[in-house]
Amino acid sequence: MTDPTDFEQRTREILDESAGRLDGRTRSRLTQARHAALAQLEQPQRHWWRSFVPAGAAAAVAVLAVVIWSGSPEQPLAAPGDDMELLADADAPDFVNDGEDLEFYEWAAGEVET
Amino acid sequence: MTAFVTLAGVYNTPVLSSVLGGERSRDQGLMTTSRALDQFLSSVEKRAFKIAQLGLRHDDDALDAVQDAMMKLVQSYSARPVEEWRPLFYRILANRIRDMQRRRTVRGRIMAWLPVRDSEDDEEFDAIAQAPSPEPEPAKRLELDEAIGVLETAVAELPPRQQQAFLLRNFEGLDVNETASAMGCSEGSVKTHYFRALESLRSRLGDVF
Repeated sequence: MTDPTDFEQRTREILDESAGRLDGRTRSRLTQARHAALAQLEQPQRHWWRSFVPAGAAAAVAVLAVVIWSGSPEQPLAAPGDDMELLADADAPDFVNDGEDLEFYEWAAGEVET
Repeated sequence: MTAFVTLAGVYNTPVLSSVLGGERSRDQGLMTTSRALDQFLSSVEKRAFKIAQLGLRHDDDALDAVQDAMMKLVQSYSARPVEEWRPLFYRILANRIRDMQRRRTVRGRIMAWLPVRDSEDDEEFDAIAQAPSPEPEPAKRLELDEAIGVLETAVAELPPRQQQAFLLRNFEGLDVNETASAMGCSEGSVKTHYFRALESLRSRLGDVF
């Protein structure tokens, strides 16, 4: 019966021997993995909030566009000056005073629609 | 010469010199950490690979697990005290191995429904893989080959927690406290797993060793 300490020692030696026998490909890949991991230290630190910068900029542009589009003055149907010109025009039909011609204008409008 | 004197004057202003001094000391700190990490990783990489290989029984998966553990340690824990690196590294590795074992179980269930494809036919000749490793004399080598094969088969067939406890305690040489930290369990559990692993291996290999 092997003494437990000897047994532990023996198993450890065998596993160490096995680890020392790794082939060239494995050793090479382990070295590459180590270098890749250490290369992270060379890169500048990235803050978590920086990943939101592009999305934030796009959202800000979108909001600005909506504000500009919705805030632009609508085209007036008629300028106030146009109404005054119409009222002041002597040749314009006088709908208010010529009450007898109102039926004629309604009839003419109906004819145009038909 | 005048320009040099002028620039030297600017660099010697208290604000700029303190900024430059800060950058220099940060660079020096980075180099020191990088060297210490390089030394640490190169000291554990082979044993870490063997542990992953015995847990996963697949060389490429084992290499991936070790690389992931290295990346994670450097990325997240390089600022931690050096004496904490080993248990942290092996904890990350153990988690990675467990994740890969679970994923493999799921993939195995899916692949069971798909037609089998022999991947060995696709492998090309790799000169580096064929490179000889440092080996002892033929007779001794044969004896060791047999011992390695028998032991690794027995260790690979241990229950996962016993395997972990045995490899971390015996192979990697972590103490009970460090092993408990790496395994994410109590020291009492480590002792129990390790004792059972030893008993199992001794009953199986006692005659061989």
